[in-house]
Amino acid sequence: MTRTFKAELLKLRRRRILTFAALGALAFSLITTIAVLLSAEPAGSGPEAAGRGPTLESLSGAGGIAESFATGVSFLGILVLVLFIANFAGEFSQGTFRTLLMRQPKRIGLLAGKMAALLVFAAGALALAELFGVLISLAFAPSQDIATSSWLTLDGFGEIASAYATALLGVSAWATLGAALAVLVRSIPIALGIGISWSGPIEHLTMDFWAGAAQSLNPR
Amino acid sequence: MTQTPPTISLDGLSKRYGDHVAVDDLTIEVPAGVVAGFVGPNGAGKTTTMAMLLGLVTPTAGSGTLLGHPLADPAAYLHRVGALIEGPAFYPGLTGAQNLAALATVAGHDRGRIGELLQLVGLGARGDDRFRGYSLGMKQRLGIAAALLGDPDLLILDEPINGLDPAGVHEMRGLIGRLADGRRTVFVSSHVLAELEQVCDWLIVVDHGALVYQGPAADLGREGAAIVAVPEHDADLQRLERLLNAAGHDSEIAGAEIVITVNGSEPRRLAADVNRAAGAEGIVLAELGPHKTTLEDRYLATVNGADR
Repeated sequence: MTRTFKAELLKLRRRRILTFAALGALAFSLITTIAVLLSAEPAGSGPEAAGRGPTLESLSGAGGIAESFATGVSFLGILVLVLFIANFAGEFSQGTFRTLLMRQPKRIGLLAGKMAALLVFAAGALALAELFGVLISLAFAPSQDIATSSWLTLDGFGEIASAYATALLGVSAWATLGAALAVLVRSIPIALGIGISWSGPIEHLTMDFWAGAAQSLNPR
Repeated sequence: MTQTPPTISLDGLSKRYGDHVAVDDLTIEVPAGVVAGFVGPNGAGKTTTMAMLLGLVTPTAGSGTLLGHPLADPAAYLHRVGALIEGPAFYPGLTGAQNLAALATVAGHDRGRIGELLQLVGLGARGDDRFRGYSLGMKQRLGIAAALLGDPDLLILDEPINGLDPAGVHEMRGLIGRLADGRRTVFVSSHVLAELEQVCDWLIVVDHGALVYQGPAADLGREGAAIVAVPEHDADLQRLERLLNAAGHDSEIAGAEIVITVNGSEPRRLAADVNRAAGAEGIVLAELGPHKTTLEDRYLATVNGADR
């Protein structure tokens, strides 16, 4: 597993991949931070009144420093799912998994090493995205009259750490789903079809059904 | 003196997929240090057998050893085996050298040999190009470089010549010959024996999953040796054939000549008998000598004989 982990990192450490990941993190942070800060309005006056977005007041709190990152990451699930499906199923469709198996015959070790390396890479990309998000938020907040005095405090750093941990957990869950689907069906289009169907309508229908059933069984 | 144990030894190896028998009770031995051709028509079970040797496919029945280790424990021998099976599969976005580096890392091999191996397979100048830009011949050669990463004792190559143009076939044959340095065993498959004829000193012929022949390449179909007699006049062909058959020889007309099967006789004595019999009937022979067949002819005769 350790050798597979190192081999996967070797592939991920290429300049092209690193540049692409850094630019992606920067673009993600720019878009989400500006969107969140621009859309924030005083409490009770905008979409946030329905509980759908942060307010200027909430952004001025300690959590405001990581708000845009936390909001943006919640939309990353499908992207992570697609990337992991493409990466894992690609090993089967390209025949490279067979090539690896001839060097290291333990399938679980191969898959675990690869998964670990990809998650380490994802963790790095998330950290970079959050760093960019914090810096852009700090630069852009004054223009929106958002107070940043409580951002660079112990509570603020705690919020950064908490947002990062939540993001990493979410990304790991989507990554595991993507990798599992890819390994099970070994086909990029079929795995994508199942994954996207699940994360879209099926998941919502199931949750609605579950919530409805729970409510009818427990009316209180 | 102790005899070197065979590099590959299979005993009744079989693989079934439902009702389809891909490999049927295969018992073979490949001596150490030879270039062994594994030959048979498409669908004869060559790739499945190789996949079982490499632990990629689990046999339905039978057993065997590779480099002295049981087939059931591929981890014990795979580090001493290099393989190219079902075509070269690499990461298209990585260069040839990067692909080799990734594979060397997975296998725990020395990455310092990559440059030397790229040179050996003739990719020294193209090692930094992406794999997706390689021609088929270059991909096959990179596959062989990958197989050589651990300086293996056994090299398993599945149809390395398949799809190559004549120049590529010539290059690949030369490369296989160079890889067999007497120390390493090379087990190479092909559905066209002529492609391997010049480099193999040991042959295993399979058809429909079953063994048809194994042994030295030079001995394949030797029992079917024949001599050929050509009368001066075509008009004498049928008369000579009748004469020889009446004398108890197994002969038949093939074009403008008569082929007489040796059938365990001493070829020289048989030739003398034929010459004497023809002369006694006033038939002058314009040619009399061994029937020249290529290894490919003998292979086809062996496979076709097995089919019957």
